[in-house]
This record gives sequence, structure tokens and C-alpha cells, in this order.
Amino acid sequence: MDTSHLAEHAGAASSFFASIFVVATLSMRTMIPLRVFGILTNIILIVSAIPTHNYATLVLHSVLLPLNSYRLHQMLQLVRDVKKSVNSDLSMEWLKPFMTERKCAAGEVLFYKDEKAESMFYIVSGRYQLVESGIELPVGAIVGELGMLSPSNMRTQTLECIEAGTILSVSYKQVEELYVQNPAFGFYFLRLASARLFQNIGTLEQQLAQYAAPSPAAAAAPKPA
Amino acid sequence: MAGVLSSLRYLLADFIGEEDDTPPFLPDGLSDGVAAVVSEGIHRLTEYQGAGYARLYVDRVKRFVGRHDVDDAMLGEIARLMIMRMSYEDSIRIAQLKLAETGVGNGPVQPADDVRKFRLDELVGALPAVVAEPVLDICERLGWTHKPVSVRFSAASGWGVRRLKIEASLRRWRLFSVRYAEERAWVERWLHMVGRCLTKQPKATSEIVQTATMVQGYGDAYRQGLADWHAIIDGLAKPTFDGALPLADLAGAVAEARAAAMPDPRQAALKRTIAQIRARALGEALGPIIAVNAGNP
Repeated sequence: MDTSHLAEHAGAASSFFASIFVVATLSMRTMIPLRVFGILTNIILIVSAIPTHNYATLVLHSVLLPLNSYRLHQMLQLVRDVKKSVNSDLSMEWLKPFMTERKCAAGEVLFYKDEKAESMFYIVSGRYQLVESGIELPVGAIVGELGMLSPSNMRTQTLECIEAGTILSVSYKQVEELYVQNPAFGFYFLRLASARLFQNIGTLEQQLAQYAAPSPAAAAAPKPA
Repeated sequence: MAGVLSSLRYLLADFIGEEDDTPPFLPDGLSDGVAAVVSEGIHRLTEYQGAGYARLYVDRVKRFVGRHDVDDAMLGEIARLMIMRMSYEDSIRIAQLKLAETGVGNGPVQPADDVRKFRLDELVGALPAVVAEPVLDICERLGWTHKPVSVRFSAASGWGVRRLKIEASLRRWRLFSVRYAEERAWVERWLHMVGRCLTKQPKATSEIVQTATMVQGYGDAYRQGLADWHAIIDGLAKPTFDGALPLADLAGAVAEARAAAMPDPRQAALKRTIAQIRARALGEALGPIIAVNAGNP
């Protein structure tokens, strides 16, 4: 019995079905649904390529399938990490995979006060000092994460490398791209940035309260009549 | 249709240049004299690069506007020297000037010829970093980085004018160039030193502002001026602001060092003078301590 016409019909039907998924994929507005539909389309096109012996399509989508899956995994992991960070230590470590490594020599200035901020940094090794306040930043510190959301976009201090080391950097533009591609990431990123801002305000309020509180000696002194 | 064009323009913004050509406003609170200088800066830098670049200039000037320790004369000087530094002379700028000189587009082409000597790294550095960096790496391996290259800027023929226009059109990628990144860091460092001087040694601020005049032109003269500037700042100004060098008269020391700067790539005289100034300052600071210790056995 000749089954070639059956294979032909199955191939045509699955191609039609796959076309619907291609349209659906391209109509997605954000990255995660786009990747999910991309994966479904890859699977359908691989299945439909087998009975029609369309090996070019088969090979192409066999390559695209793991690529789409990997990118989806990256995106989901990013959202999970940011969400976890919001609910725990407010760390920005999840940004590390998106950062570029750079060596810093002693005496090199990473940015100057009042300069327009365009990137944030993660300190991996070496010693770095904020020149105006004299504060030394510890290894593992993130610098410039709030500058991205501030209206003026200006650096408030100068950061100088005082002992050679390594830093990771990511431009605001790259973070903006992640934000725009993925609403869930954007939402948790905003929550994280706000939480860090409130944490800073809390620290300042504590410091202010310490300055405002009278010393024990002053409190014990008799009040004038 | 306008919306589609606008989206395409945004998508290709890095290649076709910025769309926003609204010139910046003058900052509030400027005296007439300073306003004229800043106005000239806006005009010059808009023509040099674009409205966005002029806005950057205004933002930098604003850092010093309204400060009680910066008078009109100093603000005017900062604004004037910043125009000079922000409109640095690369091959694109020289092509722009040559085109303006010959009145291309407004009248008959006047014959004009100009040969300038650049360093190879200077010419390559004017290209976008993504192109320039690999080329510079190759040049370095071949030892060609400092090779002098003569470039003719001529509007004497139709081909010459076309070439000038092509060179001048590279300005849309100027802000992505290796040279721009260096110039930006340099201007920021100069402004940072001015700011720190206002806090640590206000009397020396005018002298620090004037150090910007050390870096001028192009080619070897430019590199020499830049190297001398860094030597003076690293040897005298920065250690004084950091508290590592007890230099009471920073202005005098900078003027003395500048006078010793010669067109010498080894900077022998300059380095010697800086070392002498440092030794003198440290000796003066240690003198009373040694005397006190000698008096207290």
C-alpha cells in the first residue's frame, strides 16, 4: 500500500499548524511568551519535517530549539533570582552573568562626581575609595545601581581604585533592555531598587536620630528653671 | 507614517545620529559676560557635534554656577576653556573647519590646502571603538602606533571637497570613538581637580583652571601637553588634595612646574622640577618636627 500521499497530507497539515504558531510567536509582545511559542513552533516544525523528509528545516529547528530553551531558562532564572533577592538580602548578585569583567589599575578613576552616570559596577577584588567621603567600598559591593533610576543621572561621588583589582560592569542600557524585554523582571527590579532606597533612608534616619539624641551627660544635667 | 519613521530612526539612532536637535537653554543666574561665553559654547559645540553635546557642556558649566567660591571671572574662564577642550582637534574637526573656511554650500569653492601631521593611533582613535580597538591592537603589535601620518585637507578640487565632507560626516560616530572616551575622562578629571581645589586650596583654583591651556592642538604637541598635564596633577595637585603632600602654595608650585615643561618626550626637566618641589614641601613640613624632636631628647 502506497502511504506517500498520507505523509504528504500529514506534512501539509502540520506545516499549516506550524504557520499558525509562527504568527503567534511573532505577535508576542514580551520575551518569555515569545520564547515559549518559539519552542512550540520549533517542535512542530521538527515533527512536520520528518514525514516530508525536509532535512534542512529539521536541522535548523533542531539548533533553534536548544537555543530558545536556553534563553528561556536564562530569563526565568533572572526573574527568580531578582524575586528571591527582593524577599531576602536585597543583593544585586543576579546581575553578575550580564556584566563584563574589567581590570583596574591603582590610581584609575572609575567615575567622577557630577559626571553623568551610565553604568553600574560590582567590586570583585582590589580596593576602591569614594574620594569625597573617604569611604572604602568592600569587595562584593554594587556601585551606581540607584543612579539608573534617579532623574538627574549624576554621580554623587568620585570612585577611585586605590589597589589594583577587578570589577564587573553593566551599562544602564543593558539593564533597561532586560527591563523592557521582561515585565516580571522590571516589576521585581523596581521593588528591589525601592527596597534598597528605603533601606538607605532607614540608615540615614538612624544616624540622624543618633546625632539628635542628647548625650547621657547632657540628659542628666539639671534643666534651667 | 511619521510614527513608523520615528520608530525606524530610534532603531537606527546609533548609526544615523541623534534626532533631538533642540539647543540647550542658558543656565539661570549667569552674568552678561559669562552668558556670552556659554552662549558661544552652545553655538560652537552644536556645530561641532550636536545639540546633545552642547547640553553636556551646559550641564558641566552648571556644576559651578551659583557657588559662592566661584566668581564671574573664574566661571567665565572655566566655560571658555571647556569649549576649547570639548571641541578638540581631531581629523573630523579639521575637515569641518576646512569646509567652513572655504564656504562650501554657500558660494564658490575656494582653493585651500593644508597638510597636518597626526599620529597613527590618533587617526584610528577617531573611528568608533568597535572598529578602532582591533586596528589599534594590530598597530601596537607591529609597533606602528606612534607612526606619523601626514593628511592633506584640501578643498581645491571636487574630489578634495567630497573627501572633506566624508571625513566631516564621521562626526555622527565621534561619541563612540576611542578618542572621545579619552577626552571625556580628561575633561572630567580637569573639572574634578578644579572642584577639589575649590575645597582644599581655593587660592590655587585659577592656576588649576588655567592648566587646561597645556593641552592643545593635535599630534605630538597634543600628546606632550597631555603627558605634562598628568605629570603635574599626579605629582603635585592630587597628592596635595589627598593630604599626602603638604604644599602650602600649590598655585606657585604648579606655575613653577609648568615653566619647566619642555617639548621633551622624556619630560626630564619637568620630572626633576616636580621632584624638587615635592622634596622642598616635605622638608619644610618635617623641619619643625625634627626641631621639636631635637629639643626633646
